[in-house]
Amino acid sequence: MVSTQDIAKHFVDAKGNRVKAVDGVSFEASPGKIFGLLGCNGAGKTTTLRILSTVIKPTAGRATVAGYDVVDHPEKVRASIGFMSTSTALYGRLQAKEVIEYFGQLFGLEGQRLKERVAYVMDKLQIHEFGDRLCDKLSTGQKQRVNIARTILHDPPVLFFDEPTAGLDVVVSQTVMEFIEEARDMGKTIIFSTHIMSEAERLCDQISVIHEGTIRGSGTVQQLKEQTREVTLEKAFLKLVEFESSYQREAEVTA
Amino acid sequence: MNYVKQVYLKEVREMLRDKRTRSMAFFGPIFMMILFVCGFGSILGSVSKTQNQTIHVLKTENPLTQLLEKAFKVVYVENEQAGEELIRKGDAKVFLAFGAQTTGGQLDIDAYFDPKAQGAQIVLSQVSGIIETANKKALEQTLTSSGLPATAAEPVKLVKKEVQIGEKGAGEFIVSMLPYLIVIWAFYGGFSMATDLVAGEKEKATLETLLISPVTRTQIVLGKFFALASLCLASSVSSLIGFMLVSLLKLPGTSFLLKGGLGITPTAAIVTILVLLPTVAMFAACLLSFSTYAKNAREAQSYISLASFVVVVPAAFSQLIGLTDAANQGWVNFVPVLNTANNIRNALLGKPDWIGTAITVTISGLIAALLLVVVVRLFNREEVLTRV
Repeated sequence: MVSTQDIAKHFVDAKGNRVKAVDGVSFEASPGKIFGLLGCNGAGKTTTLRILSTVIKPTAGRATVAGYDVVDHPEKVRASIGFMSTSTALYGRLQAKEVIEYFGQLFGLEGQRLKERVAYVMDKLQIHEFGDRLCDKLSTGQKQRVNIARTILHDPPVLFFDEPTAGLDVVVSQTVMEFIEEARDMGKTIIFSTHIMSEAERLCDQISVIHEGTIRGSGTVQQLKEQTREVTLEKAFLKLVEFESSYQREAEVTA
Repeated sequence: MNYVKQVYLKEVREMLRDKRTRSMAFFGPIFMMILFVCGFGSILGSVSKTQNQTIHVLKTENPLTQLLEKAFKVVYVENEQAGEELIRKGDAKVFLAFGAQTTGGQLDIDAYFDPKAQGAQIVLSQVSGIIETANKKALEQTLTSSGLPATAAEPVKLVKKEVQIGEKGAGEFIVSMLPYLIVIWAFYGGFSMATDLVAGEKEKATLETLLISPVTRTQIVLGKFFALASLCLASSVSSLIGFMLVSLLKLPGTSFLLKGGLGITPTAAIVTILVLLPTVAMFAACLLSFSTYAKNAREAQSYISLASFVVVVPAAFSQLIGLTDAANQGWVNFVPVLNTANNIRNALLGKPDWIGTAITVTISGLIAALLLVVVVRLFNREEVLTRV
């Protein structure tokens, strides 16, 4: 389970101005469900996930992951999570299998258990055929399979996906989404951040729309549509983030 | 500790697979040392032999020219103006114009040369030596024919007695250059990999996944630090291997520079390792601190390039320290980098200074520890990930 209560993250930018990257975000994600964080680029999705994965500390608020407080027990939180994003890369000079083994060791796996888990994820994601190839030589799809293997190797109860399909072709995206659905069916708690409406509609049981660091609306896809009286999630989202098209603006000016 | 080992092993594996690191840290020092010793040895060996030198002489019947012909390649010139012109154009190093014998029996030889040309000065000193020997012989003959002992030509004679300190070994030239090269390679060997270790990971987006593992940031830093220190040490040792290879393979030029052998005694080796270990730790921590602070690999390279002057200047001074009294003065042991090079130098000369070595190890170790604390602090800041 993942829970956040009014978490905030404020930065001071290069000009000395205080920037509120995240400001009072609260939500709860449960096991066997996919919780979606829907927002534009720069909305605060990645910052929220970084707080939850203990890479950065919140300026205010409280968050727990798998029962551990992110500030008080960061190592225990990290041992309970798997994190995947298209922006996270692999070590180019290591073979695919070496990368998987390395992260297994960092997550405390060793000996027979490590061997078994490596063999399992390599079988499951069909990595054997390119397991001894350097990551620099892998295709995007192959890299993403290794990334998934690295994420699930230690069998964490909580999984974070930060725009996991950004920049991927439709086939690789499909693999990633199927994997997320499978993880949900296995009872994992999943937080999925995206700006792609179709993915959110397909995967998410609960969604929070995040914009300029604040939550603008929460609920199921249907509830968001009802709240905004819109027929599509895309339109509901645009309403929640108070998007005004240039066409609408011109029409208002003319009137 | 196990996590530190895992990070260390992964970094070492990556280093060994990187062509740039292999050439910079392993093959580079070996190749450069071979090139350096062979190149300098050949040039200096050639310069020291008078048979390889050419002098220009004004055409003359003077019997002294036969003496010069035995020592040099002699080229005769028709007149003084032509000889002077050859010097001006740089076509001749020294031009000798024999004058007329004075009534007192003294023969004046005008030696034309360019005072800025080092080669000309070497030839001139060789010519002076030959003329001095000829003068001495002539004086001895005159004294003997007058019934006086030949030793009257030299009422006071300076007898040079070499005192062998330690084992016979490499000459002063190698002794002054070798510590410099060992220290320099300890720094430059780690240069290329240092930028990759943190700044490169940030740039390539592999750092975030590493930070999300349960390993503490201090453990990650220590793993990376030990890997970089190992690389710095390997690079330094590679330069020594290159030096040994030159001697073992008896490559051209070594006969002049390594007349007395390598000169690395077991004591010198022990002192070298003792002072080198904290020095590589200091360099590794320094390189890693820049890599951790920088936004990307390029920025890290800029910082490290600037920092390299702080290493090069004191290391370079160690080459000249033999010309001063500073080599044996205590304060040198408190100057980072210079203390390391000077201790290696003294050990190679067969004069190990154990107290100086202890001070050097302590100073370098303290600086390394301090820099490591800085790296750990930098790495524990959120900016390690967010400052892009």
